[in-house]
Amino acid sequence: MSVEAQQGIATSRIPSGLGGLLPALILVGLFFVVPVLALLLRSVTDPAPGLQNYAALLGDGTYVRVFFNTFVVAFVVTVVTVLVAFPVAWMLAIMPPALASILFGIIILSMWTNLLTRTYAWMVLLQRTGVINRALMGAGIIDQPLPLINNLTGVTIGMVYIMLPFMILPLVGTLRAIDPMTLRAAALCGASPLAAFRRILLPLSLPGIAAGGLMVFVMSLGYFVTPALLGGTSNMMLAEMIAQMIQSLLNWGLGSAAAFILLVVTMALYALQLRLVGSKRASVGA
Amino acid sequence: MTQAFLSIRNLRKTFGAFTAVHDVTLDIPKGEFLTFLGPSGSGKSTTLYAIAGFQDPTSGDVLLQGKSLLSVPSHKRNIGMVFQRYTLFPHLSVAENVAFPLRVRRRPETEVRRKVADMLSLVRLESFAERLPAALSGGQQQRVALARALAYDPPILLMDEPLSALDKKLREEIQAEIRRIHRETGVTILYVTHDQEEALHLSDRIALFRDGRIEQIGTGEDLYLRPATDFVAGFIGNSNFLAAEHLETVGGASTIRLADGALVSGINANGNFAPGQKTKLMIRPEAFRLERSPNNAELSVEIVDVAFYGERRRIVARTGAGQEIDIRPTSSAAATHDASLGGRQIFFDPAGAFLFPASSKTGKELSY
Repeated sequence: MSVEAQQGIATSRIPSGLGGLLPALILVGLFFVVPVLALLLRSVTDPAPGLQNYAALLGDGTYVRVFFNTFVVAFVVTVVTVLVAFPVAWMLAIMPPALASILFGIIILSMWTNLLTRTYAWMVLLQRTGVINRALMGAGIIDQPLPLINNLTGVTIGMVYIMLPFMILPLVGTLRAIDPMTLRAAALCGASPLAAFRRILLPLSLPGIAAGGLMVFVMSLGYFVTPALLGGTSNMMLAEMIAQMIQSLLNWGLGSAAAFILLVVTMALYALQLRLVGSKRASVGA
Repeated sequence: MTQAFLSIRNLRKTFGAFTAVHDVTLDIPKGEFLTFLGPSGSGKSTTLYAIAGFQDPTSGDVLLQGKSLLSVPSHKRNIGMVFQRYTLFPHLSVAENVAFPLRVRRRPETEVRRKVADMLSLVRLESFAERLPAALSGGQQQRVALARALAYDPPILLMDEPLSALDKKLREEIQAEIRRIHRETGVTILYVTHDQEEALHLSDRIALFRDGRIEQIGTGEDLYLRPATDFVAGFIGNSNFLAAEHLETVGGASTIRLADGALVSGINANGNFAPGQKTKLMIRPEAFRLERSPNNAELSVEIVDVAFYGERRRIVARTGAGQEIDIRPTSSAAATHDASLGGRQIFFDPAGAFLFPASSKTGKELSY
């Protein structure tokens, strides 16, 4: 509904401007719309016309488990990312700006570092004979190496690390807009630090958490490199499965169908978030 | 000695090498409206924040009914506060903002509703209960903040320049509200402002802060009519400072020589002065007369500007020594006497003028 309204405004404001939009429309059409349509077409025509690819994916327990697993990993990664990012974002929001921009620089720099390098670094750290296990065993805290890699733990650690900037950046923006005096006022009103957090800070930071959370969740759903390197075979994610279908099995139809399902789910989630955050904004503005 | 309701004992606060509050000692009786007045950086807000628990003092103590507040965290001090900026919770309605302190105290729902209704009627915002703060004007927001701060019947209400973000008309309107609410609730109010008119209008007593110390404390009249120092005289009301040389003081009355050579005797001596000491004479603009009266001292001036302000005239004059002075004679005098430009004599009662040492700072430069 809100999308319709926006389009209505856009067209009414620039009634004769469509000609100028043509290059952009061609670009979007050629490189974004056409491939998606081709993907959809392939999923219902390869190897034969019909919905058998979708039936195969949704009817087979193995495939369904991969879908389920993908959502579990994305969910766990999102929750852990929010939990780790919130204190960092709050610190960045309230610290002196000069210091905060240095820390921002470090966080951005990690985003620019090659993804594979960072993931391999985690392999070195997390494996049975890795730095973490050896240090813990050396300190006598454990006597068997912890299973930190080729499982959900490894995937979660590696992906949270990669996703953190995407959560921290929108969250800092939201938190900076909150006047710290509001929290002092809450304290004098009798709110303990925990009550002030729960009743004031958390509700006020929800738009940032929602924006960052959705971004992290959606990115995690389609992630390939990190799950492939740090995950185990028992918790394969969708992107790995699609890669196998296309690279090893050359089953383009099945791969396309899986990709299309992922796309539809992602768009549904995005629409849901727009609905939730959008309605919240409307009520604040009323 | 009876125990004060709120007592500030030798409060001191340093930030690194900077001392924001040197040594503030103050007793506040229950129900008083006390204003901390002073220029920015004079330590008035720091003192207030120490009472609120936002800043731990370096030394000293704050006692409420004999018990130290310092070890009590902000949220357990049970103090109400209205801030300079609007600090309403933007995601909560007006009613829920006022209810907030009661909800965190887990008061029963019926009590919360009754109290919220009482508070909103106290600040006359009953019909705005369901609005969000963003839909209110600045003045309305500060009234909601006031209702929120009073909802839990705190023994003390702190107000940190609550009107500074409002325009003049709104400020006067809310000042009247604050006076009424103080009368109706009897709450003890500590009010911080840099606006002397606001302080004079609202307060039972004013503590005038300067450089982390209380320069003088007393009623508005005390500070205006009996300023202890030239700083007080310069900060409260309008004042003229004339360069003068102290000649002698006999029985509390001083004789001085003004810069243009005129001798004036019968001045109120504010302290001890040595013969020949450089001093300054403070005369309020409204203390000048255009007509001669018995026992008045006189001053030769050149009138350089006369402006009509309705209830009174403002006359700018220059003394023989070239110093500009501000004269605001009361209307009867202004009406009956022609104040045309040019040289003339003006008059003042020496007993209503004050002598201060020249060395202390007023922010006004004097040439000798």
